Amino acid sequence: MKSPASASWKAPLKFRMPTAENLIPIRLDIEVDGQRYKDAFTWNPYDPDSELVMFAKRTVKDLKLAPGFLPQIVQSIQSQLATFQSYEGQDMYVGDKIVPIKLDLRVNHTVIRDQFLWDLNNFDSDPEEFARTLCKDLGIEDPEVGPAIALAIREQLYEIAIQNVTSARENRINKKGRRAAEHFPISKASGAALDLMKLFSFRSSVVRKRKEWDNYKPILDLLSNEDVDALEAKEERSGR
Amino acid sequence: MAEKSPVKEAAPSESVPVSNSVQLKPSPQFSAKFTTPTPPNSDIPSTPTNRPPPVDADVIHVPSYSRWFSWDKIDSCESRFLPEFFDGRSPSKGPSLYMYYRNSIIKLFRENPSRKITFTDARRNLVGDVGSIRRVFDFLDHWGLINYSASSALSKPSKDTASNNKSSDSPSLESPSTAAPTPKQSSTSRRFCGACKSLCTIACFVCDKYDSTLCARCYVRGNFRVGLSNADFRRVEISDEANAEWSEKETLLLLEATMHYGDDWKKVAQHVGGRTEKDCVAHFVKLPFGEEYLGHPLLDDAESGFETNKRACLTPLSDASNPIMAQAAFLSALAGVEIAEAAAQAAVNILSKVDDTTASRGGNGSLERNSRQEISSNGDTNQNASERAYEDANSQLNKEEEDIGRAITEITEVQMKEIQDKILRFEEMDLLVEKERQQLESMKNLLFIDQLNLSFRRNSNYA
Repeated sequence: MKSPASASWKAPLKFRMPTAENLIPIRLDIEVDGQRYKDAFTWNPYDPDSELVMFAKRTVKDLKLAPGFLPQIVQSIQSQLATFQSYEGQDMYVGDKIVPIKLDLRVNHTVIRDQFLWDLNNFDSDPEEFARTLCKDLGIEDPEVGPAIALAIREQLYEIAIQNVTSARENRINKKGRRAAEHFPISKASGAALDLMKLFSFRSSVVRKRKEWDNYKPILDLLSNEDVDALEAKEERSGR
Repeated sequence: MAEKSPVKEAAPSESVPVSNSVQLKPSPQFSAKFTTPTPPNSDIPSTPTNRPPPVDADVIHVPSYSRWFSWDKIDSCESRFLPEFFDGRSPSKGPSLYMYYRNSIIKLFRENPSRKITFTDARRNLVGDVGSIRRVFDFLDHWGLINYSASSALSKPSKDTASNNKSSDSPSLESPSTAAPTPKQSSTSRRFCGACKSLCTIACFVCDKYDSTLCARCYVRGNFRVGLSNADFRRVEISDEANAEWSEKETLLLLEATMHYGDDWKKVAQHVGGRTEKDCVAHFVKLPFGEEYLGHPLLDDAESGFETNKRACLTPLSDASNPIMAQAAFLSALAGVEIAEAAAQAAVNILSKVDDTTASRGGNGSLERNSRQEISSNGDTNQNASERAYEDANSQLNKEEEDIGRAITEITEVQMKEIQDKILRFEEMDLLVEKERQQLESMKNLLFIDQLNLSFRRNSNYA
């Protein structure tokens, strides 16, 4: 039998988000003069810098934040952008990887928990589209849930992409024999990923086992006001 | 998302929005009533404001220049202002995404039309990257599809001037205002920057793709919209243009002064007032004295243009790499549109006869915005030439056809004549034959009579 590993080795690609649009997730958590500003959104790293400044200005104006927030916001976004850009030129190794993405969010009154598989090789994938469809299908009325879901997906994909870059870097350093290195990435990096070859072999079937069904079902909860307050208080305490 | 109380407004006039003089808003000054498809909003603002009494709670006012809006369609101006969704660069950013953003933002606003929605509200509720959402939001805001109630119309100018004063680089209104429905901007020589709305003085940068103009500061700062890069802009010198606007009074003063003072340009400049010596000389030289129109009639415009240019190269020229082209550009700007067009046409004629590249360059290859019209007129002359050739061919074809037709008719006439002659001959023969037959008949009769006589005689003989 030919070794299955060599069949799935792919040439390393340049680092990018494995989605159709190369957008990155940005998280902000700034505290100035007792005012706390927490936010998270998706950003297009190819927008010019003027866009960034303007966005910060409008946010400060719209939310009536203290003017001291402005430079902090700009700086925070810029540093996250810089991190992204530092990874940009490097090689990323992507094999046949299907990774599970988990959602566990609370947005205002809605709690959503879900798990699904995502194909990293599909560079046409669109977390925004997925989030929109998910909200529509589940009938979520709160419009803020959608962006939060898209953001969570993006963050996880970003993490995985970064891991790929570092693993590719390590492999290049460790490369002793040319052939041997090819096998390593498959076994090491696919800890969380599924091995497609095993799945599609004749011994198992593609249909998910019944006991795993519950894991992959979205769970949606609507909380009452008291629950929300309680949870928020708990988060604050754990955060501090 | 804290609920804000509806803004109280002072002017109780009927729902005619104040003409927003800050931006280059188009002339229609009245608003159109636009009934929303959403169910009526039951929360009429509780505070008694001086706003005109809302007859229906579900009537939303939309300025008439935004009449094109409809929920299911995308208008051409939308695709012009927000090209990122329509140029197919990224597969997921398409018109359907744009419609999702636009419709959600507008729906969000119309849920509570008395309250202005902020960009942060909008982007919190939409799935997508905030840059694109912001652009859609700004577009809708500028076109009055959101945040356009009688109260906001008043506060708008103040908001914009305030933001303009606060920061010179607020390109939030850059994209729509530059190509707003008034095309005045392009034709006047006074250029306003699309981003900071300041008068362009020394040089400005023009982007042809999206028809926007930026002053040097905004260009350097990168205050253009996302789809553009530095390379898309070309530099346009203003200083000579602005100064070239000599009013009639000034020209008159200039002429008087030159009559009095002759060559003493210092005194002339003093007399004219407000113009430097160089400008006076330059303008004086450019005044039409008739000598410019002598010489070769066809090459006249181009040549005279070059000559005067040599004399008038006192004013600073644009920094185009090719000095000849720069001069031509300068000239065409000064000479005006029609003259430049005529020059270009003349040059094209010459080009078709003689392969003179400098003449063609002078006529065709200018860089100014006027040259675009030249080029289009060149295209027209070319087109005319080919049309004329086509017409010539057609007329020749027609002539041939006529000749052929004539020849055919002649042939048929001749043949008909032949036939007629034949018929005549046959008739004559017929007559002759008829005559012979009659003769024969008469002979037959005679013979019969003879026979009878003979038989009578025989009978009588025997009897």
